[in-house]
Amino acid sequence: MELYLAFILLFPLGGGFFNAIVGRKLPRGMSEAVACGVIWGSFICSVLAYFNFTGPIKIEYASWLTAFDFRAPIALYLDQLSLALTLMITFVCGLIHLYSIGYMKDDPSYARYFALLNIFVFAMLVLVLAENLPLLYLGWEGVGFCSYALIGFWYQEEKNATAGRKAFIVTRIGDTAFGIAMVWMYQLFGTLSITQLNGMGNLVPAGIVTGLGILLLIGATGKSAQLPLSVWLPDAMAGPTPVSAQIHAATMVTAGVYLLARMFPLIGASETVGAAIAVIGGGTAFYAATCACAQRDLKRILAYSTISQIGYMVLGVGAGALTAATFHLLTHAFFKALLFLGAGCVITALHHQQDIYRMGGLKSRLPAIYWPFLAGALCLAGFPGSGGFFSKDAILGAVFERGGVLYGSLFALGLFTALLTAFYTFRMLFVVFHGESHNPLPSREGGHSPLPPIMTVTLIPLALFGLLGGILDLPEYLGTSAFLSGFLGPVPGFAGLVQAVPGDEIALQIIAATTSIVGLGLAWSRYTGDRRATSLAMEEAGSPRSDFFLNGWYLDSLYRLLLIRPFVRLSGFLWKGIDGAVIDGTLDGLARFTARVGGVPAAWSSGRVVTSLFGLAGGVCVVLAYLAWLVLS
Amino acid sequence: MIVPLEHILILAALLFFLGLGGLLAWRANLIMMLVCIEVMLNAVMLVFVGGSAQWGNADGQIFAIFIMALTSSEVSLALAMVVYLHRRKRTVNTDLFSEMKG
Repeated sequence: MELYLAFILLFPLGGGFFNAIVGRKLPRGMSEAVACGVIWGSFICSVLAYFNFTGPIKIEYASWLTAFDFRAPIALYLDQLSLALTLMITFVCGLIHLYSIGYMKDDPSYARYFALLNIFVFAMLVLVLAENLPLLYLGWEGVGFCSYALIGFWYQEEKNATAGRKAFIVTRIGDTAFGIAMVWMYQLFGTLSITQLNGMGNLVPAGIVTGLGILLLIGATGKSAQLPLSVWLPDAMAGPTPVSAQIHAATMVTAGVYLLARMFPLIGASETVGAAIAVIGGGTAFYAATCACAQRDLKRILAYSTISQIGYMVLGVGAGALTAATFHLLTHAFFKALLFLGAGCVITALHHQQDIYRMGGLKSRLPAIYWPFLAGALCLAGFPGSGGFFSKDAILGAVFERGGVLYGSLFALGLFTALLTAFYTFRMLFVVFHGESHNPLPSREGGHSPLPPIMTVTLIPLALFGLLGGILDLPEYLGTSAFLSGFLGPVPGFAGLVQAVPGDEIALQIIAATTSIVGLGLAWSRYTGDRRATSLAMEEAGSPRSDFFLNGWYLDSLYRLLLIRPFVRLSGFLWKGIDGAVIDGTLDGLARFTARVGGVPAAWSSGRVVTSLFGLAGGVCVVLAYLAWLVLS
Repeated sequence: MIVPLEHILILAALLFFLGLGGLLAWRANLIMMLVCIEVMLNAVMLVFVGGSAQWGNADGQIFAIFIMALTSSEVSLALAMVVYLHRRKRTVNTDLFSEMKG
C-alpha cells in the first residue's frame, strides 16, 4: 500500500520533471508517451490501491517541516474520499493527456505543456492525499501555479497572459484566507493533522468554529470560483482547451469542494457556517446559470456551467450532504471533461472559431463529436437517467430534507437553476449542432474528418462514464444498494445523514425530471425549426438585459470600480505623492545641498597659485585674529 | 637703544603686510610677486635684527645674514625659472597658469 501511494504521486512528478528537463531534446513521441504513461501508471496504482484497500490508512514518509512543537511531515492519508477522488483524477486526467496529444500536435512547446500538465496532476493528488494542512496547502498552491502557467500558456498574446495573472491573483485572495485559517487552527489546537483536527470541533466555542469555517469558505470560493471570487474562471478559457477541461473537470475547481468536505467534521459543528456555505453555493449556482444563458462563446458557456455545477456541490456540502456533493463532483468530472473535450474538437474542426452564432448544422458533419457531446449535455442538464440527474437530485433532495425557510428557498432556487441549466445546455447544443451551417468545414479532402482520431476516441469512455455514472449511487427505492453512499459512509462527516423518505425522493426526482425536460423543451422551441433564425438574430442584436448576463452581471466592472480603481488611485498617489515627492524629493534635495557645499572647496582647486596665496593669507588672518582675541580678552 | 622694539615690530608688520598685499594684488607679473616676497622676507629680517639688538644677542643678526644668502640664491633660481616660463608661455601673468589643477 505504501508503495502504491508513493507511486501515485511520484509518477506524475517524475514525468513532469522528465519533460521539463529533457523533454525538448527528445522526439515528440517520446515526450508524449512519458507524459501519458505516467498518468496511466498513476491510475493503475490507484486501482491497485483500491483493490488492496481495507480501511483508512495514514502513512508517514518523511519529515518535512519541523520547528519546536510544529510538525508537518510528508504524510499521506488514504480514506474512501481521497481514494474515490484519486481514481477519478488519474482516470480523467489520463484521458485528457491522451486528448492533448491530438490537440497540441502542431504546437512547438509541447514539452513545457506536458511538464506543466503532469505537475498539475501531481499537485492535485498531493492536495487530495495530504494528511496535514501544510502539505494540502502545498498541493493547493501547486495547482494554483500550474493553472496560472497553463491558462497563460500562449503567453505571447497579452490577453492570455492577463487571464493567467487574473486567475492567480483572484485565487490568491482565497488562499490568504486559507493560510490565516491554518495558522489560527495551529494556535488553537496545536496540530495541523487533518484527522486530529476533525475530532476537535467541539473543543472550542461555536463562534471560533464559525470564524474558521468562514475563512476556509473564502479559501474554497477562491479555488472553486464561487461567488465573490468567481470572476477568474470565465477568463481562464484563454488556455488550451484540454487545460480548461482539466481545470474544470478533475483538478483545480474541485479543490475547494474537497477542502470543505474534508474539513466538514470540524467546521460543520457551526450551523452558521453550513448556512453560509449553502447560500454561497446556491447563489453561485443561480448566478452562473443566468450568465451561461446569454454567453455566445462556446467555452465561456461551459465555464459558467462549471461555476454553476460547483455551486451545486458547495450547496450540497452546506446542507451536510457530503456524499451527494462528492457524487456530483465525480459525475461532473466525467461529463464536464467530456463537454470541454468535445468543444475542443468543435473548435479545432472550425479552425478556432468559438462563437456559437458562427456555428450550426454540425450534427451531420461531426457525428463522432455530436453523440458524445449530446451525452455530456444530457448529464449537465440533468436529463432523467443520466449520471448528472442522480447526483444533482441527490443534492437537491438533501437540501429539501433539511427543511426550514433558508434551505427551502435554496431548494427552490436550486430547482429554478436546474431549469436554467437545462435551457442553456440545450441552447448550446441546438445552436452549435442543429440548424443551418454558416461556416463550411474546411479541408475535408480524403473524406475523413480533419481531427486526429485520438481526440474523438477519448470522448467515448467519458460519455459512457457520464451517462452511466448514476449507477455509482442509485436511489434506494430502485431496490439496489447505493454503492457510493456505502463506500463513503465510514468517512467522518459523510454518514449520519437523514435519509430521504422514498416517497419524497420519488416525488423530488419527478419534479427534477420535469424541470429538466421543460428546459429542454424551451430550448427546442426556441432554437430549432422556424423560430431558430429569429431568436438567433434577436440574440445577436443584443439588449441591455442580455448584455448584463453576457458580462456576468458586470461583476468585473464592479470589482474594477470598487477595488481596482481605488487601488490604482492609491498606488498612483503613493507613487507620485509619497514616493516621488516626499522620499525622492528629500533625498534629491539632500544630494543637491551636499553637492553645492562640496562645490565650494572644489572651486579652490583651480590650479592657480593665487588661490593658495589667498588661502595662506586667510590662514594668517585667522591666526592673528585668534591671537588678538587671546590678548584682548 | 634709541628705537623701541615696538616701533620696529610695527614697521616690520607693516612691511610684511604690504608685501603680502602686493603679492596678492600684483599677480599679473611674476617678477613683481618675487619682489613682494623679498619685502616680506626683509620684514622678517628686521624682526630678527630688532630682537638681537633688544637682548644683546648675536643670533638674530647671524640669522639675518643667513636669510640674505638664502634669498639671493632663491632669487637667482626663481628668476632663471621665470625666464624659462616666459619662454614657454610667452607671459608672466600667474593667473594664466593653471597646470597644478588636480
